[in-house]
Amino acid sequence: MHKFIAMVGTNSDESTNRKLLQFMQTHYADQAEMELMEIKDLPVFNKPESLQIPEQAQAMAAKIEEADGVIISTPEYDHSAPAALMNALEWLSFHIKPFADKPVMIMGASYGALGTSRAQAHLRQILDSPELKARIMPSSEFMLGHSLQAFDDAGQLTDNQKVAQLDSLFGEFQMFVEITKKLKNSHAATYQDVRGMDWTKL
Amino acid sequence: MKLVGIAGSIEDKSYNRLLLKFMANHFSDTVDMEVLDIQDVPMFNQSNDQTEGEAVQYLKRKILQADGVIIATPEHNHTITAALKSVIEWLSFKIHPLSGKPVMIVGASYYEQGSSRAQLNLRQILESPGVDAVVMPGNEFLLSNVKDAFDDQNNLKDARTVSFLQSTLGKFATFVKMVNAMDAEAHADDWKKEDLEAKGEVETTIKGVDMHAADWVEQAAAKTNAAEGDDYVKLDRGVLTVNQLNWFLNSMPMELTYADANNQFLYYNHQMDGDKMLASRTPAQAGNPLADCHPKRAVPGVKRAVHMLRTGETDLFKLPVPGIPDKYIMHYYQALHDDKGEYKGINEFVLDLLPIVNYYLKQTGQVLAADPNAKTDAVSGASTKAAVAPKPDEVTGASADTDAKPVEPAVDEVSGASADVDAEPKAVVVPTPEPEVDSVSGASSN
Repeated sequence: MHKFIAMVGTNSDESTNRKLLQFMQTHYADQAEMELMEIKDLPVFNKPESLQIPEQAQAMAAKIEEADGVIISTPEYDHSAPAALMNALEWLSFHIKPFADKPVMIMGASYGALGTSRAQAHLRQILDSPELKARIMPSSEFMLGHSLQAFDDAGQLTDNQKVAQLDSLFGEFQMFVEITKKLKNSHAATYQDVRGMDWTKL
Repeated sequence: MKLVGIAGSIEDKSYNRLLLKFMANHFSDTVDMEVLDIQDVPMFNQSNDQTEGEAVQYLKRKILQADGVIIATPEHNHTITAALKSVIEWLSFKIHPLSGKPVMIVGASYYEQGSSRAQLNLRQILESPGVDAVVMPGNEFLLSNVKDAFDDQNNLKDARTVSFLQSTLGKFATFVKMVNAMDAEAHADDWKKEDLEAKGEVETTIKGVDMHAADWVEQAAAKTNAAEGDDYVKLDRGVLTVNQLNWFLNSMPMELTYADANNQFLYYNHQMDGDKMLASRTPAQAGNPLADCHPKRAVPGVKRAVHMLRTGETDLFKLPVPGIPDKYIMHYYQALHDDKGEYKGINEFVLDLLPIVNYYLKQTGQVLAADPNAKTDAVSGASTKAAVAPKPDEVTGASADTDAKPVEPAVDEVSGASADVDAEPKAVVVPTPEPEVDSVSGASSN
């Protein structure tokens, strides 16, 4: 059974992205083990000359390294991913490389109709950068619009069509994780490449 | 033109901050640019609203007061820094100071890319509805290989880069004027909303006392059980009794008037009778709405002036009020803000500058001589918007409506810089051939 990290893309106490991940956690409990990861309380990334990474970020990195894949659910602030999520990804690429070649699935929930379309594109671009070099599942987008109305009191997604879409995406991600593992050859090179990326020169 | 620069990086050593500082210094002839700090801005968190905090309010005020904003962004992970994004999120959550504001994007990076992706992202972010900035199209300035770009004096080495930057900045200056002209048109009538009748209220407004009453001070004091006489008052840095405060304020070499954010005239330092003052006030006026202290014809001018101070279009404007022989009377209107930058009213101070000038001349052994090249008055006002600037007699915060008030119509505009003043000879300071006093005497003399 795959072990996934489900990263909540916001530091907000109230979040439908957290709800979405929690729903998946129980909904797919028989298919995969999902652990929620919070990004709040990290200090603002300031590229410290000491190269010291906060303990919280180190612990997060260790869990990501260990996982078979990461699922990130992002809200959208100002047509892009939230600063808090960008901040976590800056720490998680500062002389540590937990995302290198890590299979990642991106999704998002928003109160409005568009369902984080722009934030997801932004996040994809970030994860694709040489500092992170994640393996993002291509041609997949799960956007949950009007997210405040999407869940019932028990935290279940009420729209069956959405659930069916999510089921199929989740199934594909499971396969994507396996396929990515087979890309061993490029893995070594990629990893070397990413290691060669020196933040101090950025 | 007043610009603010924001460097999107909070690390100690930032080439983007360096780039902005270089622009501020090198192009100081063209633009007045202040580089702002975002170091203290906390990570945006909608569950922990810190919009009212010092760091965000400081940025808000600076941005609102600026004609345009230049943002210099590094590129981290193919995008802008989280620190910069966090700032923008605060500035698009409960407050929207960037709305309608002209913005230019520049960026510096270590490698060839020169922040190209970050700049595109930033553009998209700034144009989202919550931020609503007006980003200058085209004209990308990307500085790559920054480590080699600056010399020891932190100047850009490459002359072609400097000249390109200059032309970009020139275009931005034009862009700022265009955007702000559109904006000014849209907000041209905002000043009319200034309520000189003081019908609203602020936190400190004393309710239940008639503002028009001649004994408003006595009534208001009774109502609030105000400290008086030998009661101690703790001030910012000191403790005084009310008596001591009065002695202190009454000994100021100028006439002081306080009007609050609700346009209510609350206080003046009552040194002497109204007819002896440079700008007449009477004891019964304290407590009056500003409308009561001005003739009706002056109301539009006062509204415009108060609006300029309230909105931060200017924090201080200066107004020469010539006409009295052997005096050079200046009215200054200083916006008051609390430590969060919230507008709290106006300090109008009035004084005669001539004794100060004369003292200086005497001490340094110089005399005044006409400047043959002078075209305008030597006193420059704070405002550049002559078109909406109030007339001098119309902006006196709370002056008594007496005809005795000397007014020189020729000096009508608040923006002294553009006003033609015939009342005073244009003068420059020249050393006298044989100084009678030691020119270095200064403070240590006698």
